[in-house]
Amino acid sequence: MSGRVVGEPSRRTFLRGLSAAALAAGGAGALAACSGSSGSGAVTGGTGEPSGSITVWSWKNPAAELKALIPAFNAVHPKVQVNVQDIGNPAIWDKITIAMEAGGQGLADLLHIGVDYLPSYIEKFPNGLADLSQLGANQYADAFAPGLWQTVSRGSKVYALPWEANAAGFFFRADLFKQAGVDPNTLATWDDVIAAGKKVKAATGVGLFAVDKSASQADSANLLQLLMQLQGVFYFNLDGKITLNSPEAVRALTLVKEMNDAGLLVDVQGSPGTTGYDTAVKSGKVAVCPDPAWYGGYLETLTPDTKGDWQLILPPAVTQGGSRSAIVNSTHLAVSGTSKNQRAAFAFAEFALTRPDSQVSIFKAKGIFPALLKAYDDPVFHQADPFFGGQKYAEVFVEELSKPSAPTNYTSDYARALKAVDDAQTKVLLQGADPATVLRAAATQLAQQTRRSQA
Amino acid sequence: MSLALRERSGGRGEAPTRPAGPGRRPGRSTARLAPYLFILPALALFAGFRLYPIGWSFVLSLYHTEGMTQSWTGLGNYQRLIHDPLFWKALGNTALILVVQVPVMLCLALGLSVALNSALLRWKPLFRLGFFLPVVTGLVTYGLMMGALLNQDSGAVNWLLGLVGLPEVHWLTDPFWAKVSVMLALTWHYTGYNAVIYLARLQGIPDEHYEAAAVDGAGAWRRFWHITLPGLRPAMLLTVVLSTIGTLQLFDEPFIMTGGGPDNATTTIGVYLYQTGFRYFDFGYASAIGYALVLIISVLGLIQVKLAKEED
Repeated sequence: MSGRVVGEPSRRTFLRGLSAAALAAGGAGALAACSGSSGSGAVTGGTGEPSGSITVWSWKNPAAELKALIPAFNAVHPKVQVNVQDIGNPAIWDKITIAMEAGGQGLADLLHIGVDYLPSYIEKFPNGLADLSQLGANQYADAFAPGLWQTVSRGSKVYALPWEANAAGFFFRADLFKQAGVDPNTLATWDDVIAAGKKVKAATGVGLFAVDKSASQADSANLLQLLMQLQGVFYFNLDGKITLNSPEAVRALTLVKEMNDAGLLVDVQGSPGTTGYDTAVKSGKVAVCPDPAWYGGYLETLTPDTKGDWQLILPPAVTQGGSRSAIVNSTHLAVSGTSKNQRAAFAFAEFALTRPDSQVSIFKAKGIFPALLKAYDDPVFHQADPFFGGQKYAEVFVEELSKPSAPTNYTSDYARALKAVDDAQTKVLLQGADPATVLRAAATQLAQQTRRSQA
Repeated sequence: MSLALRERSGGRGEAPTRPAGPGRRPGRSTARLAPYLFILPALALFAGFRLYPIGWSFVLSLYHTEGMTQSWTGLGNYQRLIHDPLFWKALGNTALILVVQVPVMLCLALGLSVALNSALLRWKPLFRLGFFLPVVTGLVTYGLMMGALLNQDSGAVNWLLGLVGLPEVHWLTDPFWAKVSVMLALTWHYTGYNAVIYLARLQGIPDEHYEAAAVDGAGAWRRFWHITLPGLRPAMLLTVVLSTIGTLQLFDEPFIMTGGGPDNATTTIGVYLYQTGFRYFDFGYASAIGYALVLIISVLGLIQVKLAKEED
């Protein structure tokens, strides 16, 4: 009996606690919405020698490489403790977004951000990222591959420092092209590519490219995006206006349609780096991978037994004499706008990204291609690679990155634009729709969804 | 307080034998409060996790949201909805599933329940379990399983088709077949559930009705039409309403099997709402989609209940 009497209040306390917790949880959203971000323009982290501890968010290979840099960094800045966390990709995008929605609660000091997300964070969270121009970032404006500084800055403000620069490559199976009697080095335009593709297909039965025709995942329009970027056009122009209906976009999708009609596209489910695509490459179903720089190193581990069969050229131009270079993807380090120690965070980013030694060691270890121009002086970028038949493959990208290439404005609506493009491409590839018609519809729909106007 | 506690703790064990005595009086106000205290946790949870989001999402639907920035737009999101081709496409896909899949599934469930109720059938529990088992399978699990079975290159279904000489079908990557695939998955998952509801009702129909009809010379078909079907009417109304609501909220199956593709062929309102809110962070517009869905479900539900009543 007495046991019950004692038991009752504790049960009641428990229930009261539970309901209090429920109320607190219910109100949490409202509280988070109120807390907001500070919005002050002042730099945090004191003056003089940077000190204190900072947290860095990145993923897998880059995270490991940032960790490896800490001892060297501490030799220069002994008072800063760096804590690098491998959040994983794509988990990191949700984690950053949620922390920013909560006004910077729980956000790391230094963030590794891809080009597809950076504009979203800059535009949707006005105080989410710190203005690095106040920390002296402007001295590096010319240190990186051309085009990248426009990606990380808005007017006089600088929101990140470039790290990786993935230029577009045209990795081809030299053995298959030889069998078909085509020399890929003579391919000047994509019309030449289509003609060559037909010969390769006739001689070897192998298709040219692998494409996710039904867009089973968001990342399915890489070939189309490359063809647009080679013409200096993206889904948006630099003013943020929609360019999906531009003649260049129509030309790009028409080329993709021509390749599809000629039977040169192998249907896969997935993009480079995922099973569907990689299996097609590995099993020799495609003769070309029109993929970014990182895929070169990736190929070596994916298909070691095709050693010596692969070679690399720059992607051919869309129009005779047109550009053959495009940076199709880049990543960056940005300092959180709510970080308590922005100076220390920037010091670490500066150490990792603007010092050639750091970038060379990262490239050697994991093949992550730097945006830092000075790093290219290192011999590692000018070595012959037996996997590519003795070709100096990194040199091709160095040359491409040194040339001016059109900056791309991903904007905060990239995810929506990509979906519209995927759907347009699927209509063309699966139902034979007219490229101009579907792109016009896509541009109209995107304008309606995003309140952006068309260029 | 201590009195009331002793009263309640004592009452719990001895209530059936002990009549309410004078000892009860001092704690009356607390006793009256007790039921409220007991439902308080559930009420608080309901308020915090159901009512609050329901109310807040309506407020949100009146704002244009972009990340942290919100601007008042009044009915702007609802106007946008009317001119949004993707919303209409999602609505059309949902309606198609509703019109095609739900009747097929309910007819199958009806046949199944009559068969499972038949006196001729042996091993009844085994069959009943077999057909009900899909219901207890987790939504994600069975979505993944269906995706694997229907995979174009490595799926078992295409392999079987190949064995009998039929061409391979692009189950998940062709706009038409993707719809078929989602409907197949839904039918596999929910037919057993509806059959069990019918079965319960069938067992409530007195055997005398059938016997009397048989004496009057009614054959199996006439007994089915004039006894079984009318007897099942309340259960049918229930399953139609539940299936309608379930279909309108459809999300898991298309999300996992096809991601709403190809070219939005399997994008339902649920999938479109998710994309808008959690991929594009347009929570204001997503809330408006949610409220449009509430409106549609309410109207359809009312019509169905009303029609059923009129027929009675």
